[in-house]
Amino acid sequence: MTLLRTYILPRILQWVFVIFVGVSITFLIPRLSPVNPVENMIGRLTSFQSMDPEASNRMRETLTDLYGLDGSMLDQYISFWGRLLRGDLGPSFQNFPRPVNDIIGDGIWWTVGLLGTATLVSWVLGILLGSLAGYFPNSLWAQFLEKTVITIYPIPYYIVAFVMLMLFTFYIPAFPLVGGARGTPALTWDYISSVLYFGFLPAMSIILGSTAFRFIMAKALTSTEASSDYVRYAELAAVPQRKILLYYVIRNTMLPQVTDLALSLGTIFGGALITEIVFGYPGVGYVLFNAINSADYNIIMGITLLSIVGIATASLLVDMIYPFLDPRVRLR
Amino acid sequence: MFTTLRDLLRYSLSFRFGTIILLFAALLIVLSFFSPYEPDDRRAVARNEAPSSEFIFGTTSQGQDVFWMLTFAIRNTLIIAGIAVTIGRGIGVMVGMLSGYIGGMFDRIVSSIVDSFIVIPRLPLLILIASIMRGQMTIFALGLMIGVLDWAYPSKRYRAQVLSLREREFTHTAVFSGMSSWKIVIQEHLPFIVPFLLADIVSGFLFAIGIEVTLSILGLSDTDTQSIGSMIYWGNYYQSLLTNKVWVLIAPIGASIVIVIGFYLVSVGLSDYLDPRKRLLRLQVKE
Amino acid sequence: MVRKLVLLLSLVLLAVPTFIGVAQEPQGLPVDLPREDLFVFDQIFRYGTVGNYNVWRTGGNTPHHHALMLETLWYRDQESGEFIYGLATSDPMYNDDFTQLNVDLREGVLWSDGVEFTADDVVFTVETIKATPELTQSGWNASLNQFLESVEKTGDYSVQFNLSQSNPRFHNLFETRWNGIYMMPKHIVEAVEGDLGAWEWTDPVVLGNYIPIDADPNGFWELFERRADPENSVAGIITGNAGPKYALSIFYGDSSRKAIAMSRGELDVYFDVDIESFETTLDTTPTARSWYTDFPWAYPNEVSTRQLAFNLEGDPLLANADVRWALALSLNMVEMQTEYIGGVAKITAIPVPPTASLSKIYHEPMEEWFVNLQIDLGDGEMYNPYDPTVSEQIAAWAEDQGFTVPGTPTEVFGYGWWKFDPEAAEKLLLKAGLTRDGSGNWLTPEGEPWVLDLQSPPDENDAFRVANAASDMWSDFGIDVSLSGLERNVWDQNRFVGQYEIATPWTTFALASGDFWPEVQSRHPKYYAPVGEDYRPLGGNSELRIQDPAVGDFIDAMAGLDPVSEENFEVNRDFLKYWTENMYFITTIAFKKFVTWDEKYWTGFPTAENPNYMPLYWFQGGKFAFQNLTPVS
Repeated sequence: MTLLRTYILPRILQWVFVIFVGVSITFLIPRLSPVNPVENMIGRLTSFQSMDPEASNRMRETLTDLYGLDGSMLDQYISFWGRLLRGDLGPSFQNFPRPVNDIIGDGIWWTVGLLGTATLVSWVLGILLGSLAGYFPNSLWAQFLEKTVITIYPIPYYIVAFVMLMLFTFYIPAFPLVGGARGTPALTWDYISSVLYFGFLPAMSIILGSTAFRFIMAKALTSTEASSDYVRYAELAAVPQRKILLYYVIRNTMLPQVTDLALSLGTIFGGALITEIVFGYPGVGYVLFNAINSADYNIIMGITLLSIVGIATASLLVDMIYPFLDPRVRLR
Repeated sequence: MFTTLRDLLRYSLSFRFGTIILLFAALLIVLSFFSPYEPDDRRAVARNEAPSSEFIFGTTSQGQDVFWMLTFAIRNTLIIAGIAVTIGRGIGVMVGMLSGYIGGMFDRIVSSIVDSFIVIPRLPLLILIASIMRGQMTIFALGLMIGVLDWAYPSKRYRAQVLSLREREFTHTAVFSGMSSWKIVIQEHLPFIVPFLLADIVSGFLFAIGIEVTLSILGLSDTDTQSIGSMIYWGNYYQSLLTNKVWVLIAPIGASIVIVIGFYLVSVGLSDYLDPRKRLLRLQVKE
Repeated sequence: MVRKLVLLLSLVLLAVPTFIGVAQEPQGLPVDLPREDLFVFDQIFRYGTVGNYNVWRTGGNTPHHHALMLETLWYRDQESGEFIYGLATSDPMYNDDFTQLNVDLREGVLWSDGVEFTADDVVFTVETIKATPELTQSGWNASLNQFLESVEKTGDYSVQFNLSQSNPRFHNLFETRWNGIYMMPKHIVEAVEGDLGAWEWTDPVVLGNYIPIDADPNGFWELFERRADPENSVAGIITGNAGPKYALSIFYGDSSRKAIAMSRGELDVYFDVDIESFETTLDTTPTARSWYTDFPWAYPNEVSTRQLAFNLEGDPLLANADVRWALALSLNMVEMQTEYIGGVAKITAIPVPPTASLSKIYHEPMEEWFVNLQIDLGDGEMYNPYDPTVSEQIAAWAEDQGFTVPGTPTEVFGYGWWKFDPEAAEKLLLKAGLTRDGSGNWLTPEGEPWVLDLQSPPDENDAFRVANAASDMWSDFGIDVSLSGLERNVWDQNRFVGQYEIATPWTTFALASGDFWPEVQSRHPKYYAPVGEDYRPLGGNSELRIQDPAVGDFIDAMAGLDPVSEENFEVNRDFLKYWTENMYFITTIAFKKFVTWDEKYWTGFPTAENPNYMPLYWFQGGKFAFQNLTPVS
C-alpha cells in the first residue's frame, strides 16, 4: 500500500505533468514560427490570380474565423484544451475542413505498423546476435559480424534508404515506388501480402541500422557481463554454455535493453520522415513535415500530442516494471 | 598518463587501429587549412572527373575537388558533433547519475524535467527552430542545439545504471565510510559507467552526424558550409547516384564510416582497459 | 547449439517476410488495368484530402480535376495566346463602360448523368458562390461580392452579368489561369442541405470527360474512368476524340523517382524534372521525348520568367539605379544560359516570356527601342547597353556542341539581352561612388568591402542555377557575393519581411492574353511595406520595396482599359520601358519545363512538330492534351 502511495501515485502525477508541459510547449512553439497559416492559405489560393486587397481582407477574416485563430493566445489555449478533452483535435488548415483525427487516422496505422515491426524485429535480432558475439568474442563469425556491423552502423540512414531504393527499384526493378499496399483495405490474402510487399524495402532499411545499433549495445553489455564471477563459476561447474548465455547472461543485460525498447516504441508515433519521403510510404511523418512548413497548427498539435503521450506512457510503464525486472533495485 | 597510452598502443590492437584512423582524420583536418581552394569555390577545377591521380576523389558537377571539400567537411562535422556530444553527454551523465543516486524528491523533480524534455519530438522541433532562425544557423549554433536536444535520453540510461550500482556492496561500504554522494558518484560509480559512456559517445557522434545529415537533406542547415551532411545533400541534388557519379557520395559516406570506426575502436580499447571487472581479468591472465 | 538456434531464428525472422515480399509480381502500379486502356500521369503533388469533389470549398483540389472533370467558360492557351471556347461560344462581350458582360454558351453539352447544361447552371453557380462565404476557393466569393451586382439568363444559352463597378477584367474569373469559376450542376447542388462549405461530394456529376472512381486515401494517386458518352462532354466536342478509357494520376516523389518510374513503364508523362534526371530518362527510356525530340528538348513557352530581384531597402547601394545597371552589365548571359542552364531555356530582358504570341505584342515592337536605349556612364558618356545578338551567340554555342538548332535563334532562344561589359559596369560603379582596392575588389563609398547577400531556394532548380551564375560572375567582377541556398519556406519568409538584399523570384508581367494589370497591380507603391513588416496583409506584393509614384501612375492607367486592346498594350509597353530604365530587377530567362511524354503506350500529345495545345496539362488549355491521346497500336 505504501508502495502505491510513495511511488506509483507520484509517478502517475509526473506522467500527467509531463504530458501537460509537453503539450503546452507544443501549443506555443509553432505559433512562434514566422509562418502565418492564414497568409499561407491566402497565398496558395491566390498564387495564380491577383486579388483585390479588399477581397483578400475579407478572406483573411473568414479564414481566421474558420481556423479558430481569432482571440488572444490565452483564449485559443483554453478553447484548445476544451476541444482536446472532448477528443477533438480540430480541423486541419491546409486541408480544411478535414478533421485532424481523420488525417492522423489515415496515416498512423502505416507508421505504427512499419516502425513497430521494424523496431521489434531489429531488437530481437540485435540482442541475439550481439549477445552471442559478446559471449564468444573470439570466434571467427563473431568478429566478421562485428566488422560488418560497425561498417553499416555509421552510414547515415538517408543513404542506406536511398541506396536500397536505387538498387531494388531501378537497377533491379523488383519493388514498387510508392504507396503502402495495393487496393483497398480488406482481410484478403491479396491485400495483406501487398502490405508486406510494399513495406518490405522501407522496413529493411530501418532494420539494418537499428539491428546494428542493438548489436553493438548487446555486445558491449554481454562482454562486460561475461567476465563476471558467476559466469566463470558456472563455466567451471560445467553448466552448458547455451544455458549460461540464455538464462543468466542475457537476462542480466535485459534492463537497459528493455528500457530502450520501451522508449523506442514510444517514439514511433513521431513517424519516420525520411523513410516516408524516400519510399513514398503513407505514414504521418511526411504529413507532419508539411504541416510544420505551412504552420498547420492543428496537425502539428495532433501528431506531436500522440508522440508525447506515447513516449511519456512508455517511460511510465518502464519505471513501473523496473523493480520487477531487477530485484536489486529497491525504490527509495 | 603517457605510460597508460603507451601500454594501450602496444597491447590493444583495437586502440592502435582506432588511434591511427583518428590521427589520419586529424591530419585531414590540418590539411584543410592548407587547401588550395576556398570551401565555397565553385568552378575551381574541371567538372565531373572520376577519381584519378590528379583528383584523388574526383570532382563534382560544380567543379569542386572532392578531396579538399572533404577536409573541410570532416572539420566542420567533427566540430558540430564534438560540441553536441560534449554538451549532451556532459549534462546527461551528471544529471542522470546524480538524480539516480540521490533519489527521493530530487530524483522525482529532475526526472519530470528530463521526461518533459524527452517527450517533445526532436526532429519537428529542429525543423521549427531552423525555420524560425531563417537561414542564420551557424555550425556552432547547430552543435549547441543538437547537444541540448540529446542529453535527456542518455541521462535516463545513466540513471538506470546508477540505480543498479547504488545497491551494490561497495556502494554501501563507501557510504558507511563517510564518503560524500558527489565523491561516490565520481570515484566509485563513474568507472563502471565509463565503458557504457564511451559506447554512448560513439552513438552521440553518430546521432549528431545523422541529424546534421537529415537537416541538410531537408535543406534546413547551412548548406553553404561544407559538412558531411551538405556534401551528401549536394551530391543528391545533382543526382550523383542516378547519373553514376557515385564518387561524389562515396567520399563523405566513406569518411564518416571510417571516422566512426576509429572512434569505436578507440572506445573499445579504452573501455577494456578501464572497466574494473575486465582489469581484474587482465591482471590475472597477463604477466 | 545456441548458435544454431539463433541462426535458425534469424533466418525465420528474415526469410518469411522476404519470401512473401519478393514472391509478388513486380509491379508498382496500384491498380490492375491493361496499359492500352490506362494512361498514367504525374500528379505533381500529394493530395491532402481525397474523395471530396466539392472544389468550391476552402482547400478544394483543382489541378487535374481541371483537366478531367471541371469546365468553365474559356481557357487561354499559352501556345497561341488565344481563347479556347469551353462552355462559352463567344468572346466576352462588354458594354462601353465595362459594367455589363454578355456571354453566349455552348449547346449540346450534357452533364455525365444526362442532364443538359444550360444558362441556369451558370446563374446558379455564380449566385451560390456569391452568397456563401464558406466557399472561399481562390477568393471567388470575395471577388464576386466586390464586383457583381446580379447575374441573369438572357436565353437558355446566354447570360448577362451586371457589375457593381466598372471592371474590364471581370471575365478573368471565368478564364482559367490556374483555375476559374467551375460550373456546379444546379439540379444536384440545389438539393444539398446544410453548409455548402462542409459539403462532401463523393459522387460527382461532371461536364468533363472523366469521372473519378477510386482514390488512394493517402493522396498518392487517383483513378478516373471515361464517361459513357464522351461525345457530349466539352473536351469530346472540341477535340472529336474519345480519349483514354482510364486515367491515373500518381505522385511518385522527386525527380529521380519520376525518372525511375518512367523507365519502368509506370509513368506516361511527368511535368518536370531536373536536368540530370531528364538526361537519365533520355538514356533509359528511348520512347520518351519532351517538346523537341533533340536539343533543346524542353518546352520553353510557359508564361513566366526568372529574375534577380533587388530589395531597394536592403543594401543602401541597391537604391541607386546605376548600381543596378552595373550589376546587369557584369553578367554574361551567354555563359549563364549555356554553362549553367544547359542551353535549354529562352532568354529575355523583360519580365514577359518570348512566346510566339507575346513576342508579337512586346518583344518585336520594342526591339528598336532596346537597341537605341542609352544610359549615362558618368561625365555625359552615353552608352547602348543592349546586345541584340545574344540569341545568335547561344545558337553558335549550340552548334559548336554538335546540336542542331530547330529553328531560327530568335524562335528557339529569344531576342537580345544586356551586353556583358565589365568596363561599362565599372564606370557606373565609379560614378556611384565606389572604388576598387588593390586586388580589384569593390569597396563601398565608406571604404568597406562591398558584400552582397544573394538568397535562392535550391528546390527551384533554374532559379538556383541563375543564382549560382550571378554569384560567380559578380565575384569575378570583384564583388564579395555570399550565396545562401535557403529552404523554400525560409526564403519566402525573408522576402515577405524584406530580410534580403538580392533574391531570385519568378514572375511575369503579362498573362497569356498579353494583359499586364492583373499581374502588376500588386506592385503598386500604395502597397509599400517597409523592411521588417510582412507585406502580405496589405494586399500587394512589396517584395522590392518600391515607393516610386510613377510605377503607380502606369498601373492606374492600365486599370480601366480593355485588356486586349492596343491601347492597353501601349500603356504596358511604356511601363516596361520605364521599368527597364530603372532596372528594378534583372530578368534573365523564361520558364522551361521538361514535360516528357513516353510513347510506349500512348501517342498524340502536343510536341514542337504538333503544337495543338500547350503540353502543360495541369492548367489552362493543356487539359485538352489528354483528350487527344490515342493508344499506340
